[in-house]
Amino acid sequence: MFTEVLSAAPQSGTNAINDFLAGVKPEFVPAWAVPLTAVGIAVGITIALVSVIAMFSTWLERKVSGHIQCRYGPMRAGWHGWLQPLADGVKLLLKEDLVPVGADRVMYVVAPAIVLASVLAALAAYPLAPGFFFADLDLGIFFILAMTSTTTIGVVMAGWSSNSKWSLYGAMREAAQVVAYEIPLGISLLVPIMVAGSFNLLEVSRGQAGMFGMDWYIWPWVNPFMLPCFVLFFIAILAETKRAPFDLPEAESELVAGFMTEYSGIRWSFFFMEEYAAMYLYSVVGAFFFFGGFESPLTWGAAKVFGDGHVLYHCAAGLTLILKGFAGVFLMMWLRWTLPRVRIDQVMTLGYKYLTPLALACVLGGSLWEVFVAPILPWRNG
Amino acid sequence: MSAAVKYVKNVVDTLVTTLVGMKITGKYLLQKPITVQYPDERLPIPNRYRGIHYLEQEKCIECLACARACPIDCIEMDAVRHGKELEWISFTLDYQKCMFCELCVYPCPKDCIHMGTEFAFVSYDRSEFVHDLLSYRGMSRDAKQRMVEAEEKKKAKEAAKAAKEAAKVAAQAAKEGKEAAGGGGEAKA
Repeated sequence: MFTEVLSAAPQSGTNAINDFLAGVKPEFVPAWAVPLTAVGIAVGITIALVSVIAMFSTWLERKVSGHIQCRYGPMRAGWHGWLQPLADGVKLLLKEDLVPVGADRVMYVVAPAIVLASVLAALAAYPLAPGFFFADLDLGIFFILAMTSTTTIGVVMAGWSSNSKWSLYGAMREAAQVVAYEIPLGISLLVPIMVAGSFNLLEVSRGQAGMFGMDWYIWPWVNPFMLPCFVLFFIAILAETKRAPFDLPEAESELVAGFMTEYSGIRWSFFFMEEYAAMYLYSVVGAFFFFGGFESPLTWGAAKVFGDGHVLYHCAAGLTLILKGFAGVFLMMWLRWTLPRVRIDQVMTLGYKYLTPLALACVLGGSLWEVFVAPILPWRNG
Repeated sequence: MSAAVKYVKNVVDTLVTTLVGMKITGKYLLQKPITVQYPDERLPIPNRYRGIHYLEQEKCIECLACARACPIDCIEMDAVRHGKELEWISFTLDYQKCMFCELCVYPCPKDCIHMGTEFAFVSYDRSEFVHDLLSYRGMSRDAKQRMVEAEEKKKAKEAAKAAKEAAKVAAQAAKEGKEAAGGGGEAKA
């Protein structure tokens, strides 16, 4: 029965790895072991990806915050402190793993795992390169949004099970915030989805494959409602990833790190890994739906020189996406060290009274443009 | 102001002020940091800063003027005299007590104790705060040299004196001998 279940599961889930393993499989290995191993390798790659993204992002955050405050940030561990995250990681692994006396032990222990697992699952739909992805989902963006909002469950569990009033306040704020901002986040993505005509990240990227990034959806000649949509999307992802000025769930100065107050060591670092991985993932989503995804002058040149299937073309495309993702992460950090934290009622006002109606207006305008104006634009029908 | 105008104004204000703020932080981001990498590089310290003392041991004559001037008696010194030369045993300053008042500096007749510019003094044990200012113990090489020279000079002087004495004695003896001989002659005569 076990074999039947596995063979019924979509085999394309771990495409490249699965095909490779099926090719080199010796006779005595049973067929069902191939997708299982492929899934294992994919999970390993995803976990490594999350760790590397989180490590680089913490270093970047400390450097950006330092330089904005006219400091250097970490300078001791390696060149300009680039080994600092490694030292921090070792420190966090060696720290004592505390569980408060009054805490709900099971939920307390499981919560960080759920938080991290949600972002790991979301990363499964993140294509590393046009030809290297774990899951080519037709509902890719839908899956990513669903998985990243699962984080909230983990956060609320952490806040509740800690049995601390700070943690509970933090968790309640997180829940309120995510409910408020999930709506404009989803709605603001509708305009690029309408233009692309697909939920699939790879197809959205292919739709912007014009010369020198001239077909990126962000440009006003594609759809003038795209830029306000991007601004709304960006504000919403700041709130979704609990970044300043919407870092109310962890508000270190009033709630003492909010839902993470009672956590220590490696469990605490899970929350941070989730935060940075989610920042990167949302930036990548923004890159896919507004800034061309894999497409850039670099990718275009690589496709012209090496051809579409060449490994260097895939490398160029992957590098383009990584650069775009970290550009978004950098922008989020820049904003964090610029703006003060807003009050909880201001967060709600912004979410319900401004972002949601404006997003709806943008969708209305964008769809009217798509129906009436886009068909008569020569560059939209080429 | 109607509600609609206010709504639009709020949206525009939020975006504009955020961009203004980002421009300011962006300017600081690109600026060179004003902090220094402390143990490796240091900011200049004024010359009259009162930090850890330093001693010009060659000049010191162990007159105890600084120790007497100290209002909290944190200076102690010990040395053995060999004529004019000093064999140093210790010159300690207890930095658990010292209040860096600089009163020890002024009475020094040889101008050999000074306030330094070093301000950081860290230690794993309290006893290490009783800091020895000596750069060497015992006698300096020059002092030893001077002592050896003085000794040689003294020896030479004594030798010369002894020789002189001997010559004197010899002369006396000769005189006496001559006198004796003369006497003999007289006696002979």
